[in-house]
Amino acid sequence: MKKISARQKSEFIWGWLFILPTMLGLIVLNIYPMIDTVRQSFYKTGDFGKGNVFVGLKNYEKVLGDSEVWQALWNTVKYAIVEVPFSVVIALLLAVLLNKKLKGRDVFRTIFFLPMVVAPAAIAMVWKWLYNSNFGLINNVFHIKVNWISSPSLAIYSIAVIGIWSMLGYNMVLFLAGLQEVPRDFYEAAAIDGANGWDQLIHITVPLISPTIFFVIVTRIIGAMQVFDLIYMMIDLNNPAWKKTESLVFLFYKYSFEQSKKGYGATVVVVLLIVIMILTGIQLIGQKKWVHYS
Amino acid sequence: MKKRFRFCSMVMGAIMAASIVGCGSTAPAETAPATDEAPAAETPAAEEQPTSIGSSVEGELSVTIWDEGQRPGLQQIVDEWSKESGVKATIQVVDWNNYWTLLEAGATGGELPDVFWMHSNVAQKYMENDQLLDLTDRIASSDKIDLGNYYEGIVNLYQSDGKQYAVPKDIDTIALWYNKTIFDEMGVAYPDDTWTWEHFAEAAAQLTNDQHWGFALAPGNNQEGYYNTIYSMGGYVISDDKKKSGMDDPNSIKAVKLFTDMIAAGSCPDLATVSETAPNELLNAGKTAMCISGSWMLAGYRDNEYTSANCDVAVLPYTSSPSDRVSIYNGLGWAAAANTKNPDAAWSLIEYLCSKEGQLKQAELGVTMSAYKGTSDAWVNSVDCFDLNGHMKMLDAKLVFRPYSRDTTVWEDMMIEKLQDAWTGDRPVEDVCKDIAAEMNEALAEE
Repeated sequence: MKKISARQKSEFIWGWLFILPTMLGLIVLNIYPMIDTVRQSFYKTGDFGKGNVFVGLKNYEKVLGDSEVWQALWNTVKYAIVEVPFSVVIALLLAVLLNKKLKGRDVFRTIFFLPMVVAPAAIAMVWKWLYNSNFGLINNVFHIKVNWISSPSLAIYSIAVIGIWSMLGYNMVLFLAGLQEVPRDFYEAAAIDGANGWDQLIHITVPLISPTIFFVIVTRIIGAMQVFDLIYMMIDLNNPAWKKTESLVFLFYKYSFEQSKKGYGATVVVVLLIVIMILTGIQLIGQKKWVHYS
Repeated sequence: MKKRFRFCSMVMGAIMAASIVGCGSTAPAETAPATDEAPAAETPAAEEQPTSIGSSVEGELSVTIWDEGQRPGLQQIVDEWSKESGVKATIQVVDWNNYWTLLEAGATGGELPDVFWMHSNVAQKYMENDQLLDLTDRIASSDKIDLGNYYEGIVNLYQSDGKQYAVPKDIDTIALWYNKTIFDEMGVAYPDDTWTWEHFAEAAAQLTNDQHWGFALAPGNNQEGYYNTIYSMGGYVISDDKKKSGMDDPNSIKAVKLFTDMIAAGSCPDLATVSETAPNELLNAGKTAMCISGSWMLAGYRDNEYTSANCDVAVLPYTSSPSDRVSIYNGLGWAAAANTKNPDAAWSLIEYLCSKEGQLKQAELGVTMSAYKGTSDAWVNSVDCFDLNGHMKMLDAKLVFRPYSRDTTVWEDMMIEKLQDAWTGDRPVEDVCKDIAAEMNEALAEE
C-alpha cells in the first residue's frame, strides 16, 4: 500500500465531484429503473404498484412460448435489417459528397439534417397522409393502388423507409465529423496513382473512418431494435398489418401501459435487452476484422 | 486514441441498451413524450401539452379530461362554479390514449388530479384500490344530488361494495349519420324509424358506386358498430355475472356477419381503407353515405363545413320490431382523487357539474347529452344544422349498457385484433367468434 499524496487525493475528490451530477442522473433515471425492471419481470404485478406477487421464472416461460413475442421480435429484426444498412450507406455517400467543395453545401447539409429536428410524431402524421392508399399523395401521383401501411407484407418496410429518411441526417453529420480527420494528402497521392473517386472511397475513406462507421452501426442497430414511436403513430389496432408491424417495444408498451401487466411487460423488455446485448457483443468481437484505429 | 474510442463505443452501447430497460418504470418519460409531440403540431390542445397529469395543489383544483371538443363548454360551467365558490379550477386535456397511461402513473405515484373523468373500462380497478374519493356520505347529505335522477346503468357502474365513487356526467347514444346529398343523388329515401337492419344493408348496396360507399364501419369501435347489432339481434357480448363470453352465441355471430357480408359485397370499405381513414373522416369527405356514430362525435361533425351542410342523423335500424332497436350506451362519471388536498372543493365542483342546473347547462351548451334524466332536450337545439332527434330518440330505444368487466381492455383489444380476420374474409365469422369467446372466457377467469 502506497500512501497517496495530498495532490492525488484532491484530484480524486474533485474528479468524483465533477462527474457526480451525471452519475446521479444515471443512477436515478437509468440504473435504478433498470434494476427495478429486471426485478419486476419476476413478479405478477398488482394494480397501481401494490400487491405484487413473486412468480419466479413464470413470466419468462410465458414469453418463450408466446408466439406474439416471437412475431414482434421478427418484425423488429426486419425493420432493423432494412433501416440500418440503408441509412448507413446512403448517409456515408451523402457525407462524402457534401464534404467536397460544393455550391450551397451548408444548405444541403441543413436540409438533410432537418428530419432529425422534427418530432417523430409529426413525421409520422405527414407520412401517414403520403402513404394513404385512397387519398395519399404517392398513390395519386403515380396512379397506383398500393396499401403501403395496411398490407401485412409491406407495412413494416414502408415504416422502415421513414426510419431511413429520418435517420439519414444524423448519421451523415457523424460521418462528416469522421471525414474531417482524414488527411487530404492521401487523396492527392491516390489521384496521382490514378485512383478514381470510387477507389478512393473504398480504399481510403472507408478504412480511415471505420471507427466512426462502427460507432454508427452499433448505435443504429440498438436504436432500430428499440423502434416504437413511428409504429405507434402509423399503425393502430384496426390495421390489418398490426400483427406484422408490432415491435418488441410496442408489445412492452401494450402490456405495461395499456393492459397494466407491468410484470410481463418488464419481461418482454428484458428479453429485448438480452437480444441487444448479444447483437452488440457480436459486433464488438467482429470489429477486430474490419475496424482500423489509427 | 485507439483504446479511447473502443471504450467509448462500448460504454455508449451499454448505456443505450440500458436506457431502454430503464423505461420499465420511467416509461411515461421515455416513450410517451415522443408521441405527445404530435398533437402539439396540429390540435388546439397544443399550448398545454402535459408531462404529468396535473397533480393536486392546495387551494386550487386541477381538472383533467380527454376530450378537447368538450373543454370550452365545460370550462364555462366550471368558471361559473369558481365565481360562486371562489376556488380556481383549470381544465387540462390529455388525449384518450395518454390519459389512461398518465392517470395510472398518477395513481401509482399518488399524484392524481383533483377532479377527473372515469370510464367503464377501468372504473372497477380504481374503485377497488381506493384511488377514488368515496362520495357516498356526501351524496346522502346533498340536496342537489339524488342518484335516482340519473340513468341507472351509469350510476351502478361507479358503485363498488355499496359505495358510490363517481356521479354520472353524461350519457351517449348511437345513431345513424347519413349524407343527404348522396341519398338524393342515388334516389334512396332517407333513413327513418321504419328501417330494419336488413333494409339498411340493402340501402347501403344501392348507395354504393365508384365515388362512394353506402356505409363505413369502424372496426375498432365496437360501441359504434357491432355491439348494437349483437344486442339488437338477441345476442350478447358478456354474461350478466361477467363470467362468460357471448361472442359464440349464434345471434352474436349473425350480427357480426351483417357487416362482413357488406364488406364482401363492396358496399362497405375494406379493413385497409378504414384503418387508414376512419369512417367519420369518410363521412366528412363525402366518401360514405352512412356511418354509425356516437353522440360525442357531434362537435366534429358540426365544425366540419361539408358535413354540416350535407349530413343529418337518424335513429338506428331495428331487427324485427321497433322494441329491439338498441343503443349501446355509456356514461362518464365525475370522480375525485381519494388523496386530494381539497376534498370539499372537489365535491362542491362535482355537485355543481352534476346538479340539475349544471346538467342542463351542459346540454344547452351542446357539450354532450346529460346523465340527469330529462335535461337533454336542450341539447337537441344546441345546433341548427342537424336534427339531433336522431340521437335523442335513441334514449327511448332499448338502452344496453356498454359491456364491461374488471379488465375490459384485455379482452376488448383481443376481440378487435381477432375480428380482423372476419372483416378481411380470411376466416369464417363463426370460427373467429368462437375463438374470441374461448379466449375471452380465459381472460374473464383470470380477473
